[in-house]
Amino acid sequence: MFISNYLVPIIILALLIYSIVKKLETYNIFVKGARGAFDLVLSIFPFITAIMIMVALMRVSGLTDILVSFLAPVFNLLGIPIEVTELILLRPFTGSGSYALLNEIFVTYGPNCYISRCASVMMSTSETIFYVATVYFAQTSVKRLSYAIPLALFCSLFGTILACLICKFM
Amino acid sequence: MNKIWTYMMIVSVIALTFTNPSVLVTEMTDASWNVLKLCAQLLAIYTIWMGLLEIVDQSGLGEKLAKLLSPLIRWLFKIKDPEATKYIALNLSSNMLGLGNASTPMGIKAMKKLDDGSGNATPAMIMLLIVNSTIIQLLPTTTIGLRASSGSQSPSDIIIPTIIATFITCLFGILMAKLCEKIFSRKKCKKDKGGK
Repeated sequence: MFISNYLVPIIILALLIYSIVKKLETYNIFVKGARGAFDLVLSIFPFITAIMIMVALMRVSGLTDILVSFLAPVFNLLGIPIEVTELILLRPFTGSGSYALLNEIFVTYGPNCYISRCASVMMSTSETIFYVATVYFAQTSVKRLSYAIPLALFCSLFGTILACLICKFM
Repeated sequence: MNKIWTYMMIVSVIALTFTNPSVLVTEMTDASWNVLKLCAQLLAIYTIWMGLLEIVDQSGLGEKLAKLLSPLIRWLFKIKDPEATKYIALNLSSNMLGLGNASTPMGIKAMKKLDDGSGNATPAMIMLLIVNSTIIQLLPTTTIGLRASSGSQSPSDIIIPTIIATFITCLFGILMAKLCEKIFSRKKCKKDKGGK
């Protein structure tokens, strides 16, 4: 907690001081860069909407529950606790949603038990892959992603198994 | 992506038609509204970070970082373009520190530079996606914060397992990406030869 609280302020402070040393027009440069944010968000909005509509419909239609009940035994064979399955399914789609679920796991099982530790580590070994992929490719010409998403998902699953394994020993 | 999305939508809508048809439109509108709120939040965050990153850029710090990381980036992505190298360097280093919101705009800029206009994802672009999704996390700030707020006595004791797990996963991801690159480029060669 100690380092992480001070990290961002120190980085920003160092940057501002450096810009004075370099005699830059800091204010003008900041405004110029900040202007780009509008275009960026505008271009990613339809992509995120499409994904989130799909996630919402899967949840209310009960499809998510069915998937969880199918995948839980498979994941269990790989050493992943059943309780974490829903988190694994949700994680590739939404960052805020998966953190909400992680919090739920902490509250239900207590933050220090094996399940919660597994869930904590796997949050870092995986990433909101569908979100990142749509956002990163939104401003490019790319229409065919080839093997990108399956490979990213596979690596995430590997990371999750590894996270559960490491938590057994540490 | 087109297929996954369409099929998932079809199955969900069919299931909903049988169970609870009245909520379909409200759920979709809710989801869209939530994304709009998320985007407003992102706009606020990106405005700050993109402003600061422009300072990083103009002050020449970006180039310095790029020079430091360029051997690694050249090996991973097989690119020489200095602009792309700089954006990738900034993207990866902010990602490692858990500053996801700062790294996303840089990632998008890097992708734009890597784009060859063919409509296909190049190996370098896929590598960037893989490295981004498996990258070493030195400080998982959000998780630690959540653990602390739910009453853990040692919220940061997951840092070391996290560093180990993400380090191995990252190496694994890079190896798999290199492997897939070889397999797919060989397939492509065969196809090209067959075509001629």
